[in-house]
Amino acid sequence: MSVDLHDILSGLIAKDRLPALAISANGFAFDPRSGQSFTVNHTGIAAVELLLSSHSIEATVEELAREYDVPHDVVLGAVEVFIRQLARYLT
Amino acid sequence: MIALGKPPPDWRRWTIAITGVNAKPDNPGPGLAVARCLRESLGFTGRLIGLGYEVLDPGLYHSGIFDAGYLIPYPSGGSEGQLERLMEISQAEGIDVMIPCLDAELSTFAHNEAALTAAGIRMLAPRQEQLRARSKDNLGELCRRLGIETPETQKVSDPGFFDRCRDEGWSYPLVVKGIYYDAVIADTPDDAKAAFHRIAAQWGYPVLVQQFVGGYEINLTALGDGAGQMLGPVMMRKRALTDKGKAWAGISIEDAQLEEMGRAIMAGTNWRGPLEVEALRGDDGKLYLIEVNPRFPAWIYLSHGVGCNLPQALLRLISGDAPANLPRPRPGTLFIRYAEELIVSLEQFQAIMVEGVVTAPRNKNRVA
Repeated sequence: MSVDLHDILSGLIAKDRLPALAISANGFAFDPRSGQSFTVNHTGIAAVELLLSSHSIEATVEELAREYDVPHDVVLGAVEVFIRQLARYLT
Repeated sequence: MIALGKPPPDWRRWTIAITGVNAKPDNPGPGLAVARCLRESLGFTGRLIGLGYEVLDPGLYHSGIFDAGYLIPYPSGGSEGQLERLMEISQAEGIDVMIPCLDAELSTFAHNEAALTAAGIRMLAPRQEQLRARSKDNLGELCRRLGIETPETQKVSDPGFFDRCRDEGWSYPLVVKGIYYDAVIADTPDDAKAAFHRIAAQWGYPVLVQQFVGGYEINLTALGDGAGQMLGPVMMRKRALTDKGKAWAGISIEDAQLEEMGRAIMAGTNWRGPLEVEALRGDDGKLYLIEVNPRFPAWIYLSHGVGCNLPQALLRLISGDAPANLPRPRPGTLFIRYAEELIVSLEQFQAIMVEGVVTAPRNKNRVA
């Protein structure tokens, strides 16, 4: 896993960008700073919740792999893409 | 806390005169939105008077909002003509408060403020020095003083500038702006020269050129108490634009850095009255100040929509009954602007054309 991915996640959390993101139960996400909105699926909701509670990419990947019974490497790749996508939306 | 002029009666029963009641769908004035905020504010039972510059300004005829409409002379006619007409209208209507809503008239209103106050017409609007400090050609200096980022801006009086500006460190695209209104993103010297001539013909000199910064625009509106404190704010991001770049839809947001910028401007200028801050969140993550407008914006009805009715707060501020804190607006509330037709009888139109005044029939459906 690239180091900068940890930096991206830390930045999103430290600058209150990810914690401030409002996500409804049906996956509608609203960024109160930029006014941008987008949707995430139920796996995405679970990923955001895990990232926020653990502040750890590894812990999030482990939990998602266990919960959805998917190989670790597959989840890791998906979470990496997801974090980069979040960072683009939350710039 | 500010109390101006005579000891104030209850602001809820005041007669308020409001300008900027023009409302072309692609670029409406703020007057109708200010009036809607007051008409729908809890407990307000006063009278609203629309003041328009053109016979087709819809606010003159909107009996659902205004009690009467009057034509007033353009500010270019001079401050004396404006004052004389306002006194005439006040004789008929007993104006308690004046809310000017257009950039181009504010200097004239500032000039006339003492005379208006003496006649019992109160106003909380920026003074001449504040208008000068935020004017587009002085914005760079204000930003330097307050430590705020702003794109490089320069006055231009010779269109040949756009051919040689690359030699002076400028690059395309750049933004060509009028001193009061209008801004065009120009990709080439020819685009820039065409914009320069059109803007100069419409708004006069100087024309301004501004460095183009990529990003998205965010806006703030608030009130200044004249002593450096900010009341509000309400913040918004445009979600859809008209051809003129005006908000067609927007959503309330909460941006701590934008709020801080607003507070710095209020404190640094001792701002009096309404203000709109136009800022740009650059692709580089920085926040740039683009403009400071010395009035409520056309999207001010959103302030009522998010529970932070700033026109109402303005009346309370003038009356000395300012709330210590306004409710925090909830981010995520949208507005979508739409156009509708107003039916005007020939008698009403004739009254404005000939007499310069039209009185609304009593509207029994009105809530307040």
